[in-house]
Amino acid sequence: MNQTLINVGVAQVKIGQNPTILRTILGSCVGICIYDRIKKTGGLAHILLPLDTAKGATPEKYADTAIPLLVQRLLKEGCKRENMSAKIAGGASMFKFQSNVTLGQIGDRNIEETKKILEELKIPLLEEDTGGNTGRVIDFFLDDGHMKVKAAGKEKMYYKV
Amino acid sequence: MHAHIKQRIESTINNIAALPTIPEVAAKILNMVNDPDVSFKAVAEEISKDQAMTTNILKLCNSAYFSKGKEISSIDRAIVTLGIREVTNIVMVVAAKPLLDKFVIGYDLAKGELWKQGLLVGTMAKRIAVQRNRKDIADIVFTGGIIHNIGKTVLAIFVQNTYNDIMNEVTANNVTFSEAEKSVMGYSHEEISEKVLEKWNFPPVLKAISRYYSDPENAPKEFKQEVSIVHIANTVSIMAGIGIGSDGLFHQLSSDALEATGIKNEDLEELFSKIPEMTKQVQEIQ
Repeated sequence: MNQTLINVGVAQVKIGQNPTILRTILGSCVGICIYDRIKKTGGLAHILLPLDTAKGATPEKYADTAIPLLVQRLLKEGCKRENMSAKIAGGASMFKFQSNVTLGQIGDRNIEETKKILEELKIPLLEEDTGGNTGRVIDFFLDDGHMKVKAAGKEKMYYKV
Repeated sequence: MHAHIKQRIESTINNIAALPTIPEVAAKILNMVNDPDVSFKAVAEEISKDQAMTTNILKLCNSAYFSKGKEISSIDRAIVTLGIREVTNIVMVVAAKPLLDKFVIGYDLAKGELWKQGLLVGTMAKRIAVQRNRKDIADIVFTGGIIHNIGKTVLAIFVQNTYNDIMNEVTANNVTFSEAEKSVMGYSHEEISEKVLEKWNFPPVLKAISRYYSDPENAPKEFKQEVSIVHIANTVSIMAGIGIGSDGLFHQLSSDALEATGIKNEDLEELFSKIPEMTKQVQEIQ
């Protein structure tokens, strides 16, 4: 099959269809993969921070604005909300930092807000590969919606859609 | 400790031909601009000797990243329009690119990742220096940010062979990846970077940046600011996933560096939030 690979950069939202692969590299950021299993269309949002502080100027950066944006774009493509599900990855923390350094907890705050927003949007979160101190390269396959996570030299697959 | 790996690393660093090389003009220019009596003419002549580099330098002078709007068609013009320090920065970008813009095995960095990170860390370090009213060190931290990871390209193959042991050391003894590199292979990539810069005859401040960027608390006093700034820029970059490899975030965010630079929580978050804009900016010269 002729699969095209699309790189999703920091604070970008991209969507695609079978047989596209969406790839992103994560540290403390969170990657949100949403898939419509009937339409075989999905999208990936790579969020940097939990809450929008720029009043909508750069909605792709923040969990609370990027995830609704991703869902909207999928709906525009003809996806149906009841056929959508989500998988998330990322949100790692620095190995060592003093507890009064707030950026140190940004990974956890990103995960927390992401889950909250998915719940508000009523999109079931089926699988997650989050936390810890590893970087992650994630590939989101739009042929069947599975997610491959490469972290610390090892690969893991997440198939639920 | 893998004694045979340590031996192989030693024979690599003792064999000058096995270490990365950088065009001679880079070191010459870096040392020339440190001299207050330097003549513009001499710098321009030195650069112009290297025809291939000159072409690439002029291309960058006219990029959105460096351009001041006026078309620049000669090194003389570049120095007059952009200033001698900015031209030095451009020389460093051109000289370092072939060394860093490649796939790095072991650390698992796809082609272009280490280079993109160098440019981003350099750009962010410069921004921090300007924000902290240290314009005087903005250019040197830019260069330091670009090349601070050069040692990774030398150690890559050895990390590939010992990766599991390094990670075991990290988890078993609660040490950073760099500390684990040293205990497993005898050397950390920071120490190797320092050796490479020594071979290149780079100034002491750049050697200090590459040697201590992961543990700025141990940096020599006179270079503490420069080292701390690059430490912070590098940390913010890997947290955003730019240049993050198999070593992940198994590093520290040094409170000592935050104190030394006076960078507060809100400044750190501001830098982090500006990563997408800075990444876009460096695409221009990637």
